[in-house]
Amino acid sequence: MIFVPKQKSILPGFGLSMGFTLAYLGLLVLIPLSMLFLRSASLSWSDFWATAFSSRTLAAYKLSFGASLLGASINAVFGFLVAWVLVRYEFPGKRMMDALVDMPFALPTAVAGIALTAIYSQNGWMGKLLAPFGIQAAFSPLGVVIALTFVGLPFVVRTLEPVLQEIDKEVEEVAASLGANRLQTFLKVIFPALGPALLTGFSLAFARALGEYGSVVFISGNMPFKTEIVPLLIMTKLEQYDYTGARVIAVVMLVASFSLLLVINLLQAWTRRGQS
Amino acid sequence: MSIEVQNITKIFGDFTALKDVSLHIPAGELTALLGPSGSGKTTLLRIISGLEVPDAGTVFFHGEDMNGTHARDRKVGFVFQHYALFRHMSVYDNVAFGLEVLPRKVKPRKKEIREKVHQLLSLVQLDRLGGRFPSQLSGGQRQRVALARALAVEPKVLLLDEPFGSLDARVRRELRHWLRKLHDEIHVTSVFVTHDQEEALEVADRVVVMNEGRIEQVGTPDDVYHHPATPFVYNFLGNVNLFHARVEGGKAYFGDAVFDLPQGQMQHDTSSAMIYVRPHLLDITRESSGKNDLKARIIYINMAGPVVKIELLSARRDSIQVEISQEHFERLRLKKHEEVYVRPKELKVFTQDYSI
Repeated sequence: MIFVPKQKSILPGFGLSMGFTLAYLGLLVLIPLSMLFLRSASLSWSDFWATAFSSRTLAAYKLSFGASLLGASINAVFGFLVAWVLVRYEFPGKRMMDALVDMPFALPTAVAGIALTAIYSQNGWMGKLLAPFGIQAAFSPLGVVIALTFVGLPFVVRTLEPVLQEIDKEVEEVAASLGANRLQTFLKVIFPALGPALLTGFSLAFARALGEYGSVVFISGNMPFKTEIVPLLIMTKLEQYDYTGARVIAVVMLVASFSLLLVINLLQAWTRRGQS
Repeated sequence: MSIEVQNITKIFGDFTALKDVSLHIPAGELTALLGPSGSGKTTLLRIISGLEVPDAGTVFFHGEDMNGTHARDRKVGFVFQHYALFRHMSVYDNVAFGLEVLPRKVKPRKKEIREKVHQLLSLVQLDRLGGRFPSQLSGGQRQRVALARALAVEPKVLLLDEPFGSLDARVRRELRHWLRKLHDEIHVTSVFVTHDQEEALEVADRVVVMNEGRIEQVGTPDDVYHHPATPFVYNFLGNVNLFHARVEGGKAYFGDAVFDLPQGQMQHDTSSAMIYVRPHLLDITRESSGKNDLKARIIYINMAGPVVKIELLSARRDSIQVEISQEHFERLRLKKHEEVYVRPKELKVFTQDYSI
């Protein structure tokens, strides 16, 4: 047995805080989620497989993960731009614009869904402009992507802002004095410094999009095999009192989201190497 | 390569950082820009580097007008006080940066870059640490990485902005000796900014003393220390005692005391002269010789250090600082509250038309 000398601290120490953390996470996250596994474990393997990977659910997984990834990627690019403009420049109306970024956060998602549908449906403002090109925004997978992009925006902007602010002007000046042009300075100096934060923003936007329900159900039209997202599918099953089916799909979603977030986290640790 | 600064003016909002400053920096020398904060020294350095654009005036490198030339094309190495290292890059990649961003046509091959970086890292004595990240280095090591990085592009001019400002006293002293040695080896025209007079006097070939956006004096360390051109320079380059006196017929009158003014310092008669004496140029005696000395009472004695520091109060309640050697102090056996006479061994007179 090794005795570690107890370290004195002003705040309640490791024992208390760790105990509280475990209890809190257990009660709030772990126990409800493990119930999912326990309940769906009553199914036989073949039944599980049949429910989890029927052609309809497969289509829903594809749409949910695909649209979420796409939405998060779009946000990673344009959210970056928004954060850049908000941090780097002074202009009239900057505070307004800053407040606007949080709107998708604050709005009840159903409101967002109704607003987006109104604009992107065939006789809405945007829908009218897109229709001549044969593009149907509402009631199509594109609509799902639009809604998921909408709800994910604040995550990228808000995670990037503080990191952008922290980037030293001197670092850019050094790069310039060493002969780097603007593009090189951006690609080699600024962008790598933002990498971890950008990944965090991306994964948050992605996670949010995966779980999003309210704003999507209005704009997607909910056609099975075409515009049905997984959360909606789960809702449908629940409404049909098919609790086991809902649970099975939930377990698949849980495992898939968890592994994806884990991969993103590992990627983040890799980009953060050396920067402690 | 020599640097010529001509009539530079720089204004930030309603603050004039530089007022019509002209300066010649000879090739191959190590020059210090010395002054208190807000004196414009860093602004001048940044204008030379091209990171700041002057409102008026011109910078010449070796006779060539640099005004339209961007910082990245000036071939200057710039070292910041807080190192400004690229945190996500290893020490090696930091140093290699300037070579990696060269246009493809002139970019050296991988092997040449590697050799060059290792050569520079051994020059700054960090050869073993190429794989570390900046966060794993001490302050002194980081600053040496920053210096190696600046030297990698073979700059024609090396500019350092308070390079040792954020290091602790011991490392600072070590690094400045090391910088002097390095400069003797590579002889690149270098300018460094500092507010530490000791640093400037110890390291530089030439010291430029600045105050309130103007240059007060340019000279060798010896020059500016022993022959200060203005009261400001005298004041800034060490502790001083200041006496307001009346000058009449080559003598200075200060209260009851009369001082003979040295030859060459004969000022025209004035009622508002200022006499400057450094603490170590004052002597203390028990007896008055009736001339050239001033009665004062000892109020504080500090014996810690190589010299004894004594604070006195004159009859007119002026505070006087004196520094004498430990031996001299032992001989005199001075005590607190004792009345003694203070005699300047050397003094410097400025009339009021100079302002501090």
